[in-house]
Amino acid sequence: MPAERALRIGVGGPVGSGKSSLIAALCGALAEEIKLGVVTNDIYTTEDAEFLRSTGVLPVERITAVQTGGCPHTAIRDDISANLEAVEELEEATGPLDLVFVESGGDNLTAIFSPALADVQIFVIDVAGGDDIPRKGGPGIARADLLVINKTDLAPYVGSDVSKMVREASERRGDLPVAATSLRTDGPHQVADWVRTQLAAFRAHGHLHSSMEGVPDHHHDHVH
Amino acid sequence: MDPLTLLLADSRFPSGSYAHSLGLEQAVNDGLRDVPAFIRARQRHVAHADARFAVEASRGHVFEQEWYMRTPSPALRDAARRTGSQLLRSASAIWDLPVTKTPRPLALGIVAGAAGIADEDTALLALYDDAATVASAALKLLPLDPAVTARWLADLAPDMARAAARIAADDGPLPAPAAVAIELNAPIHLEQRERLFAS
Repeated sequence: MPAERALRIGVGGPVGSGKSSLIAALCGALAEEIKLGVVTNDIYTTEDAEFLRSTGVLPVERITAVQTGGCPHTAIRDDISANLEAVEELEEATGPLDLVFVESGGDNLTAIFSPALADVQIFVIDVAGGDDIPRKGGPGIARADLLVINKTDLAPYVGSDVSKMVREASERRGDLPVAATSLRTDGPHQVADWVRTQLAAFRAHGHLHSSMEGVPDHHHDHVH
Repeated sequence: MDPLTLLLADSRFPSGSYAHSLGLEQAVNDGLRDVPAFIRARQRHVAHADARFAVEASRGHVFEQEWYMRTPSPALRDAARRTGSQLLRSASAIWDLPVTKTPRPLALGIVAGAAGIADEDTALLALYDDAATVASAALKLLPLDPAVTARWLADLAPDMARAAARIAADDGPLPAPAAVAIELNAPIHLEQRERLFAS
């Protein structure tokens, strides 16, 4: 059954790991083939939304911001009403859209998206945050549908071991994908391909089964 | 006590209010430090009337135009419509209710009516919703012990109980108080660059 709304991809991760830059790069890579919108969750008003608008990758009206009252966790997990409303209003005003990115306010390792808000989610960490982060774990690192380890070009300068980060992340994640990349030097192609695959599956089935659900072998009432 | 009253009073019930300070953020920007006084002022000038509107809405009298007439600031109207529809969104998963952009106190009354909550408790919910939202926001705006903000609400309890009983029994004309400073400051708050709260 085809979906009647846009696919919603959550992008979470710590402050400064490159969430906004990833979304800007993905919009640049995908905007010609996919009609995109972005909802940001900022600490102060509309910083991230303004950054994205300033990059010119999307028409400004397709980028909107919600205020989180200093509770970025709450806004994407415990009380998602403001985000759901923002996504729906964005689709009504500019739609139909194929895909909406919901960017979390930069936070620590425990923030994840409610499955009622994000169909699938990307968790973004970076080598400069310390190469022990995958070992520390957390729900985003262990179970996000895609883990991006960003800024690999900086690894020699900050004393981080990228292969160790990928290995330790994979130990936690089983078969779930890990993308070690430098958005600055490699571009977003690896992640863009993953997004295309998700969108194709969403269009084919009308929904996706996120790895965050943690029940990969539950029963289906339909054939995939 | 009806457990559904507890459910609706619980800040863990998702209804969007965590993103709002109900004017406290701008008041703090302007130098306010006596938050309990601010909460009491809101009770007198905003929440008592809102509670009456909530009770009326719970009985099926949704006086939306009358509520707007008492809330001239477009910024406050918009904030109340957002938290109202966000409350209705979660409540519609429990009761058969449409999700509309209805101002918060009226939405709260509609939900209380659907839940079958008694008039006095409906009034109390509206009064407590207002006070607890401000007290919770204060923790993010000022250096405070969270036990102290809980104490503020406890100190307010006798007044809230008396007001709720009076409001539930009130069949006179709808009250028309004014919170001029809060109305005037709402659009100024929206212009602040470093702003944690949506209102």
